[in-house]
Amino acid sequence: MNSSRVIDNDLLDALMVPAKQGDYPRDSHAFVRIDCSLRVYWHSLFDICPDVLALTTPDGLAIYRPFMAWANERQLSLDWTYYLWVYQWLLQSEFRERVTPKIARALTAASAARWAVGDRSASGGIAVGCADFPELVVAWKSHHIDEGREIELVELDEPLPTPPGKFGYFTIPQFELNTFPGWSEILR
Amino acid sequence: MLIGLNFTLGGTLELVQRLAKEGEIDYCELLIDNFLQVPPSELRDAFACPIGLHIMFSKFLESDAAYLESMAERLREYIDVLKPLYISDHLARFTHKGRTLYHLAELDYPNEYHHVRQRVDWWQEKLGQRLYLENYPSIMDGGHDAPEFFERLVQDTGAGVLFDASNAVCAQLNCGLGLDRWLNVIDSTTHFHVAGYSLSILEPKVVLDTHDVELSPETLAFLTRYKDHFDKPNATMTYERDENIEYDDIVSDLRKLRAIFGHPKGGTQ
Repeated sequence: MNSSRVIDNDLLDALMVPAKQGDYPRDSHAFVRIDCSLRVYWHSLFDICPDVLALTTPDGLAIYRPFMAWANERQLSLDWTYYLWVYQWLLQSEFRERVTPKIARALTAASAARWAVGDRSASGGIAVGCADFPELVVAWKSHHIDEGREIELVELDEPLPTPPGKFGYFTIPQFELNTFPGWSEILR
Repeated sequence: MLIGLNFTLGGTLELVQRLAKEGEIDYCELLIDNFLQVPPSELRDAFACPIGLHIMFSKFLESDAAYLESMAERLREYIDVLKPLYISDHLARFTHKGRTLYHLAELDYPNEYHHVRQRVDWWQEKLGQRLYLENYPSIMDGGHDAPEFFERLVQDTGAGVLFDASNAVCAQLNCGLGLDRWLNVIDSTTHFHVAGYSLSILEPKVVLDTHDVELSPETLAFLTRYKDHFDKPNATMTYERDENIEYDDIVSDLRKLRAIFGHPKGGTQ
Protein backbone atom coordinates (compact mmCIF):
# COMPACT_ATOMS: atom_id res chain seq x y z
CA MET A 1 0.00 0.00 0.00
CA ASN A 2 1.33 3.42 -0.94
CA SER A 3 2.05 5.39 2.24
CA SER A 4 1.01 8.63 0.54
CA ARG A 5 -2.38 7.17 -0.34
CA VAL A 6 -5.21 9.27 1.14
CA ILE A 7 -8.83 8.16 1.02
CA ASP A 8 -12.02 10.01 1.93
CA ASN A 9 -12.19 8.14 5.22
CA ASP A 10 -8.94 9.78 6.33
CA LEU A 11 -10.52 13.21 5.93
CA LEU A 12 -13.89 12.70 7.59
CA ASP A 13 -13.05 14.59 10.77
CA ALA A 14 -12.09 17.64 8.71
CA LEU A 15 -15.00 17.75 6.29
CA MET A 16 -17.06 19.98 8.60
CA VAL A 17 -14.36 21.58 10.72
CA PRO A 18 -12.65 24.54 8.99
CA ALA A 19 -9.81 24.65 11.52
CA LYS A 20 -8.71 21.15 10.51
CA GLN A 21 -8.27 22.04 6.86
CA GLY A 22 -4.91 23.57 7.74
CA ASP A 23 -3.63 20.15 8.79
CA TYR A 24 -3.25 19.31 5.10
CA PRO A 25 -0.80 20.79 2.57
CA ARG A 26 -2.30 23.71 0.67
CA ASP A 27 -1.33 22.16 -2.68
CA SER A 28 -2.88 18.75 -1.98
CA HIS A 29 -6.06 17.12 -3.26
CA ALA A 30 -6.99 16.53 0.37
CA PHE A 31 -7.00 20.28 1.06
CA VAL A 32 -9.18 20.94 -1.98
CA ARG A 33 -11.49 18.02 -1.21
CA ILE A 34 -12.05 19.40 2.32
CA ASP A 35 -12.65 22.84 0.84
CA CYS A 36 -15.34 21.41 -1.45
CA SER A 37 -17.11 20.00 1.59
CA LEU A 38 -16.80 23.15 3.71
CA ARG A 39 -18.16 25.35 0.93
CA VAL A 40 -21.46 23.49 0.97
CA TYR A 41 -22.07 24.45 4.61
CA TRP A 42 -21.14 28.06 3.78
CA HIS A 43 -23.51 28.23 0.82
CA SER A 44 -26.25 26.40 2.70
CA LEU A 45 -26.21 29.21 5.25
CA PHE A 46 -25.55 32.39 3.32
CA ASP A 47 -27.30 31.58 0.02
CA ILE A 48 -30.45 30.71 1.92
CA CYS A 49 -30.21 33.52 4.51
CA PRO A 50 -28.46 36.48 2.83
CA ASP A 51 -29.50 38.77 5.70
CA VAL A 52 -27.12 36.81 7.93
CA LEU A 53 -24.27 37.43 5.49
CA ALA A 54 -25.16 41.12 5.52
CA LEU A 55 -24.19 41.23 9.20
CA THR A 56 -20.53 40.86 8.27
CA THR A 57 -18.02 41.13 5.44
CA PRO A 58 -18.91 39.45 2.12
CA ASP A 59 -16.77 36.39 2.82
CA GLY A 60 -18.93 35.66 5.86
CA LEU A 61 -15.97 34.12 7.66
CA ALA A 62 -16.47 36.08 10.89
CA ILE A 63 -19.71 34.15 11.31
CA TYR A 64 -19.02 30.93 9.47
CA ARG A 65 -15.74 29.91 11.08
CA PRO A 66 -16.63 30.54 14.74
CA PHE A 67 -20.06 29.00 14.27
CA MET A 68 -18.61 25.84 12.75
CA ALA A 69 -16.05 25.62 15.58
CA TRP A 70 -18.84 26.08 18.15
CA ALA A 71 -20.91 23.44 16.37
CA ASN A 72 -17.97 21.06 16.44
CA GLU A 73 -17.40 21.60 20.16
CA ARG A 74 -21.02 20.65 20.79
CA GLN A 75 -21.01 17.93 18.11
CA LEU A 76 -24.15 19.40 16.54
CA SER A 77 -25.62 17.05 13.97
CA LEU A 78 -26.01 19.84 11.38
CA ASP A 79 -29.20 18.14 10.23
CA TRP A 80 -32.36 20.15 9.51
CA THR A 81 -31.80 22.09 12.76
CA TYR A 82 -28.64 23.73 11.33
CA TYR A 83 -30.16 27.22 11.06
CA LEU A 84 -31.76 27.09 14.50
CA TRP A 85 -28.32 26.60 16.00
CA VAL A 86 -26.89 29.40 13.87
CA TYR A 87 -29.51 31.68 15.44
CA GLN A 88 -28.58 30.56 18.91
CA TRP A 89 -24.91 31.09 18.18
CA LEU A 90 -25.60 34.59 16.83
CA LEU A 91 -27.40 35.48 20.07
CA GLN A 92 -24.28 34.81 22.12
CA SER A 93 -21.86 36.36 19.60
CA GLU A 94 -20.61 39.86 18.87
CA PHE A 95 -23.50 40.10 16.38
CA ARG A 96 -26.26 39.65 18.95
CA GLU A 97 -27.36 43.32 18.98
CA ARG A 98 -27.88 43.22 15.21
CA VAL A 99 -29.97 40.07 14.99
CA THR A 100 -33.37 41.28 13.85
CA PRO A 101 -36.76 39.56 14.09
CA LYS A 102 -36.57 39.18 10.31
CA ILE A 103 -33.36 37.16 10.66
CA ALA A 104 -34.90 35.05 13.42
CA ARG A 105 -37.86 34.16 11.21
CA ALA A 106 -35.66 33.57 8.15
CA LEU A 107 -33.40 31.13 10.00
CA THR A 108 -36.38 29.31 11.47
CA ALA A 109 -38.00 29.07 8.05
CA ALA A 110 -34.74 27.77 6.58
CA SER A 111 -34.63 24.96 9.11
CA ALA A 112 -38.26 24.05 8.55
CA ALA A 113 -37.67 24.03 4.79
CA ARG A 114 -34.63 21.82 5.23
CA TRP A 115 -36.79 19.36 7.15
CA ALA A 116 -39.32 19.33 4.33
CA VAL A 117 -36.57 18.66 1.79
CA GLY A 118 -34.75 15.95 3.68
CA ASP A 119 -37.19 14.14 5.93
CA ARG A 120 -38.32 10.77 4.63
CA SER A 121 -40.77 9.86 7.38
CA ALA A 122 -44.49 9.58 6.69
CA SER A 123 -45.17 13.04 8.18
CA GLY A 124 -46.52 15.70 5.85
CA GLY A 125 -45.25 18.79 7.61
CA ILE A 126 -43.47 20.36 10.54
CA ALA A 127 -44.27 23.32 12.78
CA VAL A 128 -41.44 25.15 14.52
CA GLY A 129 -42.02 27.60 17.35
CA CYS A 130 -39.55 30.12 18.72
CA ALA A 131 -39.63 31.84 22.08
CA ASP A 132 -38.65 35.11 20.38
CA PHE A 133 -41.67 35.54 18.10
CA PRO A 134 -45.32 34.52 18.37
CA GLU A 135 -45.97 32.91 15.00
CA LEU A 136 -45.42 29.30 13.98
CA VAL A 137 -43.21 28.51 11.02
CA VAL A 138 -44.79 25.61 9.13
CA ALA A 139 -43.21 23.66 6.28
CA TRP A 140 -45.08 21.20 4.08
CA LYS A 141 -43.61 18.51 1.90
CA SER A 142 -44.55 18.45 -1.76
CA HIS A 143 -47.81 16.53 -2.08
CA HIS A 144 -48.68 17.15 -5.72
CA ILE A 145 -46.37 16.34 -8.56
CA ASP A 146 -46.27 19.87 -9.95
CA GLU A 147 -45.79 21.63 -6.61
CA GLY A 148 -42.76 22.30 -4.46
CA ARG A 149 -42.44 22.45 -0.70
CA GLU A 150 -44.33 25.27 0.98
CA ILE A 151 -43.28 27.38 3.95
CA GLU A 152 -45.82 29.41 5.91
CA LEU A 153 -45.68 31.86 8.78
CA VAL A 154 -48.83 31.07 10.74
CA GLU A 155 -50.41 33.50 13.19
CA LEU A 156 -52.63 31.65 15.63
CA ASP A 157 -55.80 33.11 17.19
CA GLU A 158 -54.80 31.50 20.45
CA PRO A 159 -51.03 31.30 20.84
CA LEU A 160 -49.46 27.99 21.79
CA PRO A 161 -47.45 27.68 24.99
CA THR A 162 -43.94 29.01 24.59
CA PRO A 163 -41.46 26.20 23.81
CA PRO A 164 -39.46 25.15 26.85
CA GLY A 165 -36.21 26.01 25.09
CA LYS A 166 -35.48 28.67 22.51
CA PHE A 167 -37.18 26.46 19.91
CA GLY A 168 -39.62 23.58 19.84
CA TYR A 169 -41.24 21.64 17.03
CA PHE A 170 -43.87 19.10 16.23
CA THR A 171 -44.51 17.10 13.09
CA ILE A 172 -47.86 17.05 11.32
CA PRO A 173 -49.15 13.69 10.08
CA GLN A 174 -51.12 14.92 7.08
CA PHE A 175 -51.52 18.32 5.43
CA GLU A 176 -53.67 20.16 7.93
CA LEU A 177 -52.53 22.01 11.02
CA ASN A 178 -55.33 21.15 13.44
CA THR A 179 -53.73 19.66 16.52
CA PHE A 180 -50.96 20.54 18.93
CA PRO A 181 -49.32 17.37 20.28
CA GLY A 182 -46.86 19.33 22.45
CA TRP A 183 -43.35 20.56 21.79
CA SER A 184 -40.47 18.28 20.94
CA GLU A 185 -37.03 19.45 21.94
CA ILE A 186 -34.54 20.50 19.27
CA LEU A 187 -31.82 17.90 19.48
CA ARG A 188 -28.17 18.52 18.86
CA MET B 1 -30.43 1.96 -25.38
CA LEU B 2 -33.32 3.87 -23.85
CA ILE B 3 -32.41 7.49 -23.15
CA GLY B 4 -34.06 9.16 -20.13
CA LEU B 5 -33.96 12.27 -17.97
CA ASN B 6 -34.08 12.65 -14.22
CA PHE B 7 -37.09 14.35 -12.60
CA THR B 8 -36.36 15.67 -9.15
CA LEU B 9 -38.70 18.59 -8.49
CA GLY B 10 -42.19 19.61 -9.55
CA GLY B 11 -40.98 22.74 -11.31
CA THR B 12 -39.53 20.76 -14.21
CA LEU B 13 -42.62 18.65 -14.85
CA GLU B 14 -43.66 20.45 -18.04
CA LEU B 15 -40.14 20.21 -19.43
CA VAL B 16 -39.95 16.46 -18.81
CA GLN B 17 -43.42 15.89 -20.25
CA ARG B 18 -42.52 17.89 -23.34
CA LEU B 19 -39.29 15.95 -23.88
CA ALA B 20 -41.22 12.68 -23.66
CA LYS B 21 -43.94 13.91 -26.02
CA GLU B 22 -41.38 15.08 -28.58
CA GLY B 23 -39.53 11.76 -28.43
CA GLU B 24 -36.34 13.22 -27.00
CA ILE B 25 -36.53 10.82 -24.06
CA ASP B 26 -37.87 7.27 -23.83
CA TYR B 27 -38.43 7.22 -20.07
CA CYS B 28 -38.20 9.39 -16.99
CA GLU B 29 -36.30 8.68 -13.77
CA LEU B 30 -38.09 9.91 -10.64
CA LEU B 31 -36.10 10.85 -7.57
CA ILE B 32 -38.81 9.00 -5.77
CA ASP B 33 -38.08 9.97 -2.20
CA ASN B 34 -38.88 13.59 -3.12
CA PHE B 35 -42.41 12.46 -4.01
CA LEU B 36 -43.38 10.11 -1.20
CA GLN B 37 -46.35 12.32 -0.24
CA VAL B 38 -47.66 12.41 -3.83
CA PRO B 39 -50.21 9.67 -4.55
CA PRO B 40 -48.65 6.92 -6.70
CA SER B 41 -51.48 7.15 -9.22
CA GLU B 42 -50.79 10.87 -9.68
CA LEU B 43 -47.18 10.06 -10.58
CA ARG B 44 -48.25 7.28 -12.92
CA ASP B 45 -50.75 9.48 -14.73
CA ALA B 46 -48.29 12.34 -15.16
CA PHE B 47 -46.00 10.54 -17.58
CA ALA B 48 -46.81 8.91 -20.89
CA CYS B 49 -43.57 6.97 -20.78
CA PRO B 50 -41.93 4.29 -18.60
CA ILE B 51 -40.46 5.30 -15.27
CA GLY B 52 -37.31 4.46 -13.32
CA LEU B 53 -37.07 5.04 -9.57
CA HIS B 54 -33.96 6.56 -8.03
CA ILE B 55 -33.66 6.75 -4.23
CA MET B 56 -31.45 9.52 -2.86
CA PHE B 57 -31.86 9.73 0.90
CA SER B 58 -32.69 6.30 2.26
CA LYS B 59 -29.16 6.31 3.73
CA PHE B 60 -29.71 2.59 4.02
CA LEU B 61 -26.17 1.93 5.20
CA GLU B 62 -26.69 4.21 8.21
CA SER B 63 -30.40 4.59 8.99
CA ASP B 64 -32.11 2.61 11.73
CA ALA B 65 -34.26 -0.39 10.85
CA ALA B 66 -37.62 1.08 11.87
CA TYR B 67 -37.08 4.16 9.69
CA LEU B 68 -36.10 2.05 6.71
CA GLU B 69 -38.92 -0.44 7.17
CA SER B 70 -41.42 2.43 7.14
CA MET B 71 -39.81 3.88 4.04
CA ALA B 72 -39.72 0.50 2.30
CA GLU B 73 -43.39 -0.06 3.02
CA ARG B 74 -44.28 3.22 1.34
CA LEU B 75 -41.84 2.66 -1.53
CA ARG B 76 -43.44 -0.69 -2.28
CA GLU B 77 -46.75 1.07 -2.98
CA TYR B 78 -45.01 3.16 -5.63
CA ILE B 79 -43.27 0.13 -7.06
CA ASP B 80 -46.59 -1.72 -7.37
CA VAL B 81 -48.31 1.14 -9.16
CA LEU B 82 -45.47 2.51 -11.28
CA LYS B 83 -43.89 -0.82 -12.26
CA PRO B 84 -40.51 0.87 -12.74
CA LEU B 85 -37.81 -0.13 -15.19
CA TYR B 86 -35.42 -0.30 -12.23
CA ILE B 87 -34.90 0.91 -8.67
CA SER B 88 -31.61 2.43 -7.66
CA ASP B 89 -29.96 3.78 -4.53
CA HIS B 90 -26.62 5.21 -3.42
CA LEU B 91 -23.54 3.76 -1.80
CA ALA B 92 -21.96 6.67 0.02
CA ARG B 93 -21.43 8.06 3.49
CA PHE B 94 -24.10 10.59 4.52
CA THR B 95 -23.01 11.18 8.13
CA HIS B 96 -19.88 10.96 10.24
CA LYS B 97 -20.17 10.36 13.98
CA GLY B 98 -23.79 11.41 13.82
CA ARG B 99 -23.02 14.65 12.01
CA THR B 100 -24.42 15.38 8.56
CA LEU B 101 -22.05 15.50 5.60
CA TYR B 102 -23.38 18.07 3.15
CA HIS B 103 -20.95 16.79 0.53
CA LEU B 104 -21.27 13.02 0.63
CA ALA B 105 -18.14 10.99 1.30
CA GLU B 106 -16.82 7.86 -0.36
CA LEU B 107 -16.89 4.55 1.46
CA ASP B 108 -13.74 2.82 2.62
CA TYR B 109 -14.49 -0.08 0.30
CA PRO B 110 -12.23 -2.87 1.61
CA ASN B 111 -12.94 -2.21 5.27
CA GLU B 112 -16.67 -1.70 4.93
CA TYR B 113 -17.43 -4.52 2.53
CA HIS B 114 -19.07 -6.91 4.95
CA HIS B 115 -21.28 -4.23 6.49
CA VAL B 116 -22.33 -3.02 3.06
CA ARG B 117 -23.05 -6.52 1.83
CA GLN B 118 -25.24 -7.22 4.85
CA ARG B 119 -27.17 -3.96 4.45
CA VAL B 120 -27.65 -4.44 0.70
CA ASP B 121 -29.11 -7.91 1.32
CA TRP B 122 -31.41 -6.49 3.99
CA TRP B 123 -32.53 -3.43 1.99
CA GLN B 124 -33.25 -5.51 -1.11
CA GLU B 125 -35.32 -7.88 1.00
CA LYS B 126 -37.31 -5.00 2.50
CA LEU B 127 -38.00 -3.48 -0.92
CA GLY B 128 -38.72 -6.85 -2.47
CA GLN B 129 -36.67 -5.79 -5.46
CA ARG B 130 -33.26 -6.04 -7.02
CA LEU B 131 -31.47 -2.77 -6.37
CA TYR B 132 -29.06 -0.99 -8.66
CA LEU B 133 -26.37 0.83 -6.66
CA GLU B 134 -24.59 3.89 -7.96
CA ASN B 135 -20.82 4.32 -8.04
CA TYR B 136 -19.32 7.40 -6.34
CA PRO B 137 -17.47 10.18 -8.23
CA SER B 138 -14.16 9.55 -6.47
CA ILE B 139 -11.90 12.43 -5.58
CA MET B 140 -9.37 10.67 -3.40
CA ASP B 141 -7.30 7.51 -3.83
CA GLY B 142 -9.95 5.21 -2.39
CA GLY B 143 -11.59 5.26 -5.80
CA HIS B 144 -9.10 2.65 -6.94
CA ASP B 145 -10.88 0.09 -4.76
CA ALA B 146 -14.32 0.76 -6.24
CA PRO B 147 -14.49 -1.48 -9.33
CA GLU B 148 -13.44 -4.63 -7.48
CA PHE B 149 -15.81 -3.76 -4.63
CA PHE B 150 -18.79 -3.45 -6.96
CA GLU B 151 -17.90 -6.64 -8.83
CA ARG B 152 -17.78 -8.55 -5.56
CA LEU B 153 -20.97 -6.96 -4.28
CA VAL B 154 -22.89 -7.89 -7.43
CA GLN B 155 -21.68 -11.44 -7.17
CA ASP B 156 -22.51 -11.82 -3.47
CA THR B 157 -25.83 -9.97 -3.23
CA GLY B 158 -27.39 -10.19 -6.67
CA ALA B 159 -27.68 -6.41 -6.68
CA GLY B 160 -26.85 -4.52 -9.83
CA VAL B 161 -24.77 -1.43 -10.41
CA LEU B 162 -26.29 1.82 -11.56
CA PHE B 163 -23.12 2.67 -13.38
CA ASP B 164 -22.61 6.40 -13.62
CA ALA B 165 -20.30 6.88 -16.60
CA SER B 166 -19.41 10.49 -15.80
CA ASN B 167 -18.69 9.56 -12.18
CA ALA B 168 -16.14 7.08 -13.56
CA VAL B 169 -14.64 9.89 -15.63
CA CYS B 170 -14.45 12.06 -12.49
CA ALA B 171 -12.58 9.23 -10.75
CA GLN B 172 -10.25 8.85 -13.70
CA LEU B 173 -9.42 12.56 -13.76
CA ASN B 174 -9.13 12.86 -9.98
CA CYS B 175 -7.28 9.74 -8.96
CA GLY B 176 -6.16 8.13 -12.20
CA LEU B 177 -8.50 5.15 -12.07
CA GLY B 178 -8.50 3.74 -15.60
CA LEU B 179 -11.90 3.59 -17.28
CA ASP B 180 -11.18 0.08 -18.48
CA ARG B 181 -11.13 -1.06 -14.84
CA TRP B 182 -14.93 -0.74 -14.97
CA LEU B 183 -15.50 -3.02 -17.96
CA ASN B 184 -16.71 -6.00 -15.93
CA VAL B 185 -19.14 -3.75 -14.08
CA ILE B 186 -20.41 -2.18 -17.30
CA ASP B 187 -20.87 -5.62 -18.83
CA SER B 188 -22.79 -6.79 -15.76
CA THR B 189 -25.46 -4.11 -15.76
CA THR B 190 -28.13 -2.54 -17.91
CA HIS B 191 -28.69 0.76 -16.12
CA PHE B 192 -26.54 3.84 -16.47
CA HIS B 193 -26.29 7.49 -15.50
CA VAL B 194 -24.49 10.33 -17.18
CA ALA B 195 -24.13 14.05 -16.41
CA GLY B 196 -21.89 17.06 -16.68
CA TYR B 197 -19.24 17.92 -14.10
CA SER B 198 -17.29 21.01 -13.06
CA LEU B 199 -13.92 21.92 -11.58
CA SER B 200 -13.25 22.91 -7.99
CA ILE B 201 -12.62 26.56 -7.21
CA LEU B 202 -9.24 25.93 -5.61
CA GLU B 203 -6.08 24.53 -7.17
CA PRO B 204 -5.05 21.80 -7.62
CA LYS B 205 -8.31 21.35 -9.46
CA VAL B 206 -10.50 18.36 -8.74
CA VAL B 207 -13.51 17.34 -10.79
CA LEU B 208 -16.91 17.49 -9.08
CA ASP B 209 -20.10 15.72 -10.11
CA THR B 210 -22.27 18.83 -10.35
CA HIS B 211 -24.95 18.04 -12.97
CA ASP B 212 -24.90 21.69 -14.01
CA VAL B 213 -23.23 21.78 -17.43
CA GLU B 214 -23.12 19.88 -20.71
CA LEU B 215 -21.54 16.47 -21.07
CA SER B 216 -17.76 16.60 -21.34
CA PRO B 217 -15.82 15.39 -24.39
CA GLU B 218 -14.15 12.83 -22.12
CA THR B 219 -17.50 11.36 -21.10
CA LEU B 220 -18.77 11.23 -24.67
CA ALA B 221 -15.52 9.58 -25.79
CA PHE B 222 -15.88 6.99 -23.01
CA LEU B 223 -19.43 6.13 -24.10
CA THR B 224 -18.40 5.97 -27.74
CA ARG B 225 -15.36 3.80 -27.11
CA TYR B 226 -17.27 1.28 -25.04
CA LYS B 227 -20.61 1.61 -26.77
CA ASP B 228 -20.94 -2.13 -27.31
CA HIS B 229 -20.41 -2.77 -23.60
CA PHE B 230 -23.05 -0.23 -22.57
CA ASP B 231 -25.68 -0.97 -25.20
CA LYS B 232 -27.68 -4.14 -24.67
CA PRO B 233 -31.34 -5.18 -24.53
CA ASN B 234 -33.35 -3.25 -21.89
CA ALA B 235 -30.46 -0.90 -21.21
CA THR B 236 -31.23 2.62 -19.92
CA MET B 237 -29.09 5.76 -19.82
CA THR B 238 -30.40 8.56 -17.62
CA TYR B 239 -29.12 12.05 -18.32
CA GLU B 240 -29.04 13.99 -15.04
CA ARG B 241 -29.41 17.77 -14.93
CA ASP B 242 -30.03 19.55 -11.63
CA GLU B 243 -28.82 23.10 -12.31
CA ASN B 244 -29.00 25.42 -15.32
CA ILE B 245 -32.02 23.51 -16.56
CA GLU B 246 -32.50 24.89 -20.07
CA TYR B 247 -34.53 22.99 -22.65
CA ASP B 248 -32.17 23.57 -25.58
CA ASP B 249 -29.07 22.59 -23.60
CA ILE B 250 -30.68 19.38 -22.40
CA VAL B 251 -31.90 18.46 -25.88
CA SER B 252 -28.42 19.09 -27.23
CA ASP B 253 -26.93 16.58 -24.79
CA LEU B 254 -29.73 14.06 -25.29
CA ARG B 255 -29.08 14.15 -29.03
CA LYS B 256 -25.37 13.55 -28.46
CA LEU B 257 -26.37 10.39 -26.59
CA ARG B 258 -28.73 9.41 -29.42
CA ALA B 259 -25.92 9.93 -31.90
CA ILE B 260 -23.86 7.37 -30.01
CA PHE B 261 -26.53 4.81 -29.19
CA GLY B 262 -29.20 5.38 -31.82
CA HIS B 263 -32.88 4.87 -31.15
CA PRO B 264 -34.05 1.95 -29.01
CA LYS B 265 -34.84 -1.29 -30.76
CA GLY B 266 -37.68 -2.38 -28.49
CA GLY B 267 -37.34 -4.64 -25.52
CA THR B 268 -38.46 -2.69 -22.49
CA GLN B 269 -41.87 -1.38 -23.52
